Amino acid sequence: MENTTIVETHSLTKRYGSGVLAVNSVDMSVRRGEVYGFLGPNGAGKTTTLRMLVGLIRPTSGTATVAGHAPGSPAGLARIGSLIEGPGFYPYLSGRENLKVVADLASVNRKRVDEVLDLVDMTSRAGRKFGTYSTGMKMRLGVAAAILKDPELLILDEPTNGLDPQGMAEMRKLIREIGQGDRTVLLSSHLLGEVEQICDRVGVISNGRLVKQSTVQDLLGEEGVLVRAQPADAAEEMLTRMFGREAVSRRDGAIHLKTDPGKSLEINRQLTSAGIGVSELRPFERSLEEVFFQLTGEKQGS
Amino acid sequence: MIATIKAEWRKNRFRPAFLVSSGLIAGITVLIYGVSWYQALHPSTREGRGVLSILTLYPDQFVNNVMGAGFPLGAAIAIVLGALIAGSEYSWGTMKTTLTQGPGRLTTWFGRVVVFEAWMGILTAILFVVGAASSVVVASFQGHAIGWPTFVDIAKGFGAIWLVFAVNGAIGLALGVLIRHSAAALGVGLIYVLAVEVLLVRFIDSVSNGAYMWIGNLFVNQNTTALTQSFRSAVFGPSVAPSITAERAVLVLFAYLAGLLIVAAALLRQRDVT
Repeated sequence: MENTTIVETHSLTKRYGSGVLAVNSVDMSVRRGEVYGFLGPNGAGKTTTLRMLVGLIRPTSGTATVAGHAPGSPAGLARIGSLIEGPGFYPYLSGRENLKVVADLASVNRKRVDEVLDLVDMTSRAGRKFGTYSTGMKMRLGVAAAILKDPELLILDEPTNGLDPQGMAEMRKLIREIGQGDRTVLLSSHLLGEVEQICDRVGVISNGRLVKQSTVQDLLGEEGVLVRAQPADAAEEMLTRMFGREAVSRRDGAIHLKTDPGKSLEINRQLTSAGIGVSELRPFERSLEEVFFQLTGEKQGS
Repeated sequence: MIATIKAEWRKNRFRPAFLVSSGLIAGITVLIYGVSWYQALHPSTREGRGVLSILTLYPDQFVNNVMGAGFPLGAAIAIVLGALIAGSEYSWGTMKTTLTQGPGRLTTWFGRVVVFEAWMGILTAILFVVGAASSVVVASFQGHAIGWPTFVDIAKGFGAIWLVFAVNGAIGLALGVLIRHSAAALGVGLIYVLAVEVLLVRFIDSVSNGAYMWIGNLFVNQNTTALTQSFRSAVFGPSVAPSITAERAVLVLFAYLAGLLIVAAALLRQRDVT
């Protein structure tokens, strides 16, 4: 039976000469066929991790297996397509000629060049020099180069970076299309909405550490109850007594309670019997943004 | 291996830097012939100025003559090209594109070197063809019979100029890989070959009445000069016997070529691509 994991890392660590710990003991696993979102703020270690997975940089310690091979091995790279930190092409060559260079390097039939140009909707602009392309066109060509090998695993590092809203929407649609079927997509991003829309599972990295890895549903699925009551302080005090300090938080005048929404009736009864007026009481689902800020310890809106 | 050579050739065959360099080499050769022709026909009467014989400009001497275009100007162009080819891979981000396609780092480097050295051969051929054509023009205008050097002399001259271009190009390539930036690499390369090395050799020559000149004789320029001057014939007038033989110069230059390419390969293999 074929291994269900296509990317697996164990204690993957990268420390630069200056002592900076860019990636700290990351244990990550990406399953075949899924779209995996690698989420983290700028400078969290996403690109460094991806660079290690394709063999551009060597880990200081730890191991990684990508598509059944060590990172950077020719056999492994033959099964991986990647777009790491923006597209890198020769500005004096046309888009098509640049893809032919990549096709030669990857020993791919040149007929495939026209196929992928068509897939990313760049056929009509393929004869223009890469140096004259807009950011969106450059990204499309980068994705075209990444899928040239018809790879099992596609690694895309912030593919919507620098794109305008329309370009971002088009790129997401493109990624969803190419992520269909058996192909695995490992997508890094700091855009939470993007990951929420595209990905099946996510890994959240912060300060070089993988702080959470689960399905998007599981990540959002920690249920809770939202309460609006007057006087709010008395309500908060009572709920803290009932559920503990850890379970209670106050945002925008509402009390967020980490508990089973099935306890709503009991909450209402207790608050009312204590003379506290309840104006709103409902289950709530956290947004990925909330989860992200909680996991990374970053402040929202900061 | 073949795949990387194909890819390198595809991206470099119409590369503006090579096309412009080809034009420059041709232009420099024509310029040298034109100026020399004028000087030969209008010798200076000022004291201390040597007289350039028109005989040096005829086809039978063209191999000797193109050496002047090959070094130092052609060599400087080779350094610039090497630095551009290796350094721009980092500034354009194409190094990561190349290294994530499949071929290993050493295979990629080998392909790059093969195509670069082939381009050095093309530049040498342009130098020789334009030099030969210029000498035919001079001979025709002067009504002189057209005779050619022997095939062996042409082949030796071609090999010598290719070696000079190859070594200087390798300096540029190695600096491009070391510095990972084309502009900085070509600046450092040119300053070293055209200024730093000249000063160092002069200093070594002045220490203890030249007792350590054997060290100076190991530098690239010294050996390149010895090799190109070994083609100088009697019609160019008297010359000082070089302290380095042509055979030794070839060996030293090949050692530089191999050493620089191996060091650059080791750097490329070991270092992270960030």
